[in-house]
Amino acid sequence: MNILSNFQYHAPKTKAEVLDLLADIGDKSKMLAGGTDLVIMLKEKMIQTENVINIADVKELSGIKFTDNGVEIGACTTISEIENSKELVEKYGALVYAASQLGSYQVRTMATIGGNISHSSPCGETPAPLSALNATVVIESKRGERTVKPEDFILGNRQNILEKDEMVTKFIIPEPVAHSAATYGNIGLRNAMEIDAVNMAVNIELEDDKKTIKSAKLIMGSVAPKPIVSEGVPSLLVGKELNDELIEKVGEAAMSEATPISDVRASAEYRKDVVGALARRLTKEAYNKAMEA
Amino acid sequence: MKQLITLNINNQNYDVIVTPMDLLVDVIRKAIGLTGTKKGCGQGDCGACTVLIDGQPKLSCLTLAITCADKKIITIEGIANEDGTLHPIQDAFLDHGAVQCGFCTPGMILSAKALIDRNPNPSQKEIKTAISGNTCRCTGYINIVSAIESYANLVAEKGAK
Ligand SMILES: Cc1cc2nc3c(=O)[nH]c(=O)nc-3n(C[C@H](O)[C@H](O)[C@H](O)COP(=O)(O)OP(=O)(O)OC[C@H]3O[C@@H](n4cnc5c(N)ncnc54)[C@H](O)[C@@H]3O)c2cc1C
Ligand code: FES
Ligand code: FES
Repeated sequence: MNILSNFQYHAPKTKAEVLDLLADIGDKSKMLAGGTDLVIMLKEKMIQTENVINIADVKELSGIKFTDNGVEIGACTTISEIENSKELVEKYGALVYAASQLGSYQVRTMATIGGNISHSSPCGETPAPLSALNATVVIESKRGERTVKPEDFILGNRQNILEKDEMVTKFIIPEPVAHSAATYGNIGLRNAMEIDAVNMAVNIELEDDKKTIKSAKLIMGSVAPKPIVSEGVPSLLVGKELNDELIEKVGEAAMSEATPISDVRASAEYRKDVVGALARRLTKEAYNKAMEA
Repeated sequence: MKQLITLNINNQNYDVIVTPMDLLVDVIRKAIGLTGTKKGCGQGDCGACTVLIDGQPKLSCLTLAITCADKKIITIEGIANEDGTLHPIQDAFLDHGAVQCGFCTPGMILSAKALIDRNPNPSQKEIKTAISGNTCRCTGYINIVSAIESYANLVAEKGAK
């Protein structure tokens, strides 16, 4: 019954043990968190590895911890823990909603947030809302720690900035500033279990008048090999109040920046239309929510 | 590199010899001989291989058996009462004609039971979401959803679990 090729199995108990193992054999290893991507890739022989390091049961790597200035989410926290977290909903609802959209419930009880960004698929569910919420990805190795923005972590389809001895240990998300709100949306081909044709997250911050846009961020996934952070949308919005004409322009700007491909899931043309529709809807929603926040 | 591990399945310990790449679904079905857990797609899509691991519904086709050494696994064989009578959720599936060929049924029942355990009062939409990872190739979804609704009602009335 060995359909996977042979590898040696390691089950470290602490983060320090994981980092030691990575320093020693990181170049010949794959980390196993939920396994929802890795086990499939091993089965399909898309990758081979001499060692598998199971990090799923390392307690220090998982959990949701609130701090004075925000929240820290361990890399091995499962997507279902995030989806079910009543404490996260209020301020980090865009991430909670994105979590609820990933795969099926069984996939979500296994899949981890660290695995989602580390797999670096262009259609990953959580990188866009993490960017919109101004999250920081914390990367550690025996050599030390460094931090990056989610949008700078992914370099292309299944490519990221991790060195062989490094891992993602947690995400730090700051408390949202006053009069700001983030939204997330995704459109696939059917309602459940789909891989997104397009996903997007938006963050709008308003001035104290609760009308004028102080800053704006729009990130789209699945429309290029890596998530795209819009440059056109913030320059359209900052300093203005949102109106119908501006919303139309936001849709056009996002469409002009997306460089989608045609594949079995959707044509490039359809994806561009979806980008426009999502950009208009999510910007409006974020603006309205920011007026209340 | 074979290794001896102990798997706790349905509150019973099984000593099994595995290699690190053995999948939980194969160990449960072939090494242990509990064939209620089904293997459909082997890709995480169909949910036929669903088991409860520490109470959570998970896919045994994407789980390495060796990672489960310290965990409690429940398969469909562990759902009925100790005296052999059916669990109320199994009764509900029978009463509503929610079983056709039966291939999806073990996974459906475990997904549904896990839902009611975490949310005793689900809406119909929540039920559909919870079983969206379980494919019924006989497409008997309407009866399956009614069976789960009736079990939820029973839990609400009698606290039956
Ligand atoms: C049926 C099905 C449906 C799916 N649907 C979706 C979907 O709708 N949206 C979506 O985004 N994804 C989806 N996925 C993909 C997958 O579930 C997610 O990408 C998941 O978040 C991966 O997490 P994991 O813990 O399972 O990763 P694993 O498979 O354990 O690991 C993935 C990769 O990341 C590496 N890795 C894991 N953790 C770390 C870490 N902390 N630091 C560094 N590297 C690490 C591993 O070595 C491996 O290379 C689906 C998968 C399946 C099987
Ligand atoms: S056999 Fe595991 S999901 Fe289909
Ligand atoms: S009853 Fe046949 S697959 Fe569902």
